[in-house]
Amino acid sequence: MLSKVVTVIKREYMTRVKSKGFIASLFLMPVLMCGLVLLSSFLAIMEHGTEEMRKLAVVDETGEIFTQMQTVIAGHRTFQHKGELVYQLHEESAATEEARATLRERVNTKDFYAYLEIPKDVFANGEVRFYARTATNFEMQNALRRIISDIVRDKRFAESGYSQREVSQLMRSVRFNAYAVKSSKGKDGGAKIENPLETGARLGLAYLLVFVLYMFVIIYANSIMRSVLEEKTTRIVEVIVSSVKPHQLLLGKLIGVCSVCLTMFAVWVIFGVLLIMNIEPLLRIFGIDSLPVQLLGVIETVKVSSAEVLTYFFIYFIIGFFMYSTLYAIVGAICNSEEEAQQTAVPLTMLLVIPFILMFQLFRVPDSTLSVLLSHIPFFSPILMFMRINVLMPPLWEILMNILLMCATVLLVTLISGKIYRIGILMYGKRPTLRQLWQWARY
Amino acid sequence: MNLLELENVHKKFGDFTAVSDISFSIEKGSVYGLLGPNGAGKTTTLRMIMDIIAPDAGSITFSGGQHIRDFLDQIGYLPEERGLYRKMKVRDVILFIAELKGLYKQQALGEIEHWLEKMQLSEWGNKRIDELSKGMAQKIQFITTVIHKPELIILDEPFSGLDPINMTLLKDLMLELRDSGSTIIFSTHVMGQVEKLCDRICLIHRGEVLLEGELRAVKRAFGKNSVEIEYNGSLEPIRNSDRIQGFNDFGQYAEVKLRTPEDYRQLLQELVEKGIDVTRFELVEPTLHEIFVQSVEAHGGTVGDAE
Repeated sequence: MLSKVVTVIKREYMTRVKSKGFIASLFLMPVLMCGLVLLSSFLAIMEHGTEEMRKLAVVDETGEIFTQMQTVIAGHRTFQHKGELVYQLHEESAATEEARATLRERVNTKDFYAYLEIPKDVFANGEVRFYARTATNFEMQNALRRIISDIVRDKRFAESGYSQREVSQLMRSVRFNAYAVKSSKGKDGGAKIENPLETGARLGLAYLLVFVLYMFVIIYANSIMRSVLEEKTTRIVEVIVSSVKPHQLLLGKLIGVCSVCLTMFAVWVIFGVLLIMNIEPLLRIFGIDSLPVQLLGVIETVKVSSAEVLTYFFIYFIIGFFMYSTLYAIVGAICNSEEEAQQTAVPLTMLLVIPFILMFQLFRVPDSTLSVLLSHIPFFSPILMFMRINVLMPPLWEILMNILLMCATVLLVTLISGKIYRIGILMYGKRPTLRQLWQWARY
Repeated sequence: MNLLELENVHKKFGDFTAVSDISFSIEKGSVYGLLGPNGAGKTTTLRMIMDIIAPDAGSITFSGGQHIRDFLDQIGYLPEERGLYRKMKVRDVILFIAELKGLYKQQALGEIEHWLEKMQLSEWGNKRIDELSKGMAQKIQFITTVIHKPELIILDEPFSGLDPINMTLLKDLMLELRDSGSTIIFSTHVMGQVEKLCDRICLIHRGEVLLEGELRAVKRAFGKNSVEIEYNGSLEPIRNSDRIQGFNDFGQYAEVKLRTPEDYRQLLQELVEKGIDVTRFELVEPTLHEIFVQSVEAHGGTVGDAE
């Protein structure tokens, strides 16, 4: 009988691995991920400006800020594009309401990118107003706020008798960095610490993995659902269950599809390890001889921590995959058409989306009672517990307990759904009600 | 020896009785026909034999008392509704099912070539199922049913959707399989085309057995009360004759059922008297369809409400 399960596994695995979709995502997914990162940083650069000149109208009632602003902006990154200044300041006067209205209109007709109103009493407590067609250009707004604040502050200091030099000397802000305190011991016998860059690198990796986990469980659980449905609607399942027991068919499917995911991960991990290990010779080919110290630190962190992170990833992925896929298989077994199945699967998808959304809250307070409780709800654990492990490592017993709890849940879900599956795949007609499902489960 | 035995099998779906007290047995090496109109309970019976649904009462045993779980690998089953993995290649699908049935890969590969050639589908072996015509896919499914040389072959409506050429091909294959020792049970609602194939038949209607037995015996019991007439002109003059019970006119050929078998002489005389140009006049056995209609009427029903 075992050889028949292997036959099922082989089919599920081979048909997927040989499909164009698999090969495409094997290569495209990393490209897409890198592309997304690049695109977002590219957009961030784009923010600073455009190829064309933009005009900024300034109504300076004080009569002294405008000139200073012009000097500062000339050397400010926010107002440059590829090293060239792309913003032009225009001093305008707006004594009357009409003049202001005209300026606003010129912003509207894109003659001006924005217009800035600096009141006379800005040194006391006046409000600087920024008018633009989009008020969401926060980077520009922040830059302007800081520039004007500096000018205003310098003026206040000068009036109080301090020189420019003294001011910049006195106004230095403190250097501030966050270090994560780890549970492991450092060289000095105290708890080990991690520098901000390392934390960032580790969390970046964790974020990426949570996203991959979430995406793959959804995609491949759906794939299982469709394959159950296909076998049911074509009645080929009647032929198959005359050779294999239904629960063996289901098990074969789950193992087969899970192996598909693991294959893809394995390829990526091996590729990633090779890349990281040989990053320096690789970069030398492109003519980059030395990397900045910070970047070397990041690479070092990824090297050191990825083994642990990946181990937890595989544990939580496999358990999460089985937990959700079994449920999706049930949906496939009790439905009669793809549309019906998609609708029925919505609550299951919610079960996966909820922890994904909660994750961002949990990120901030990983050790609050609520966070801990939520992360122990078995259906949320694959995402929330995995995230907690990466943000603030819980004690080992808690992790072990969590894994045990999830395994118990998987076992329970499989037992119940195995029965429903067995009946569902051979039944046609109306979708069963929840009460009928309960009866099947106890059958 | 009986390969399959059904004893007093009952099945109800809610208030609806799908199968009521069906018993029959199939001798090893024979072809058994399960005949009846749509909704008679044929598919339900076959699904119960396959253990896909459980009977409410009665017993189904294989090869002298065995339970199906010990006999499953010896069965080849073709479900009523056809389907295979649409995205898979023909050879891969057959191989998958053959392996599930316990064949080793090498052994299966040989069999696949043999059968594809037999079905004249060799050059389609690397095509995907959804590239095949319906008839071809049906032939592939037949291969998957018999590739592991099962002792018992269960075919649910194997002829539906096949053109006459493929129907003949399938019929010949079934006889070939029987001759090589397989036992076949199949269901059909089109009785005329395949009746000669069966060694034994079971006529069912609304879940009940109307008639069961050896085909020849069944026919003999109904006697030769039918006449086939080939003629030129019109049969109108004898249409209302007292001797005729049923009349099925095809224009130059007619099937006539007599009230009593002995009446054929009088009918012939009448034809001559009325001056009808008869080119052939033959006393024949009743067709299964006629037997079926008669049996239904004898049980106080009408065929119309079944079909």
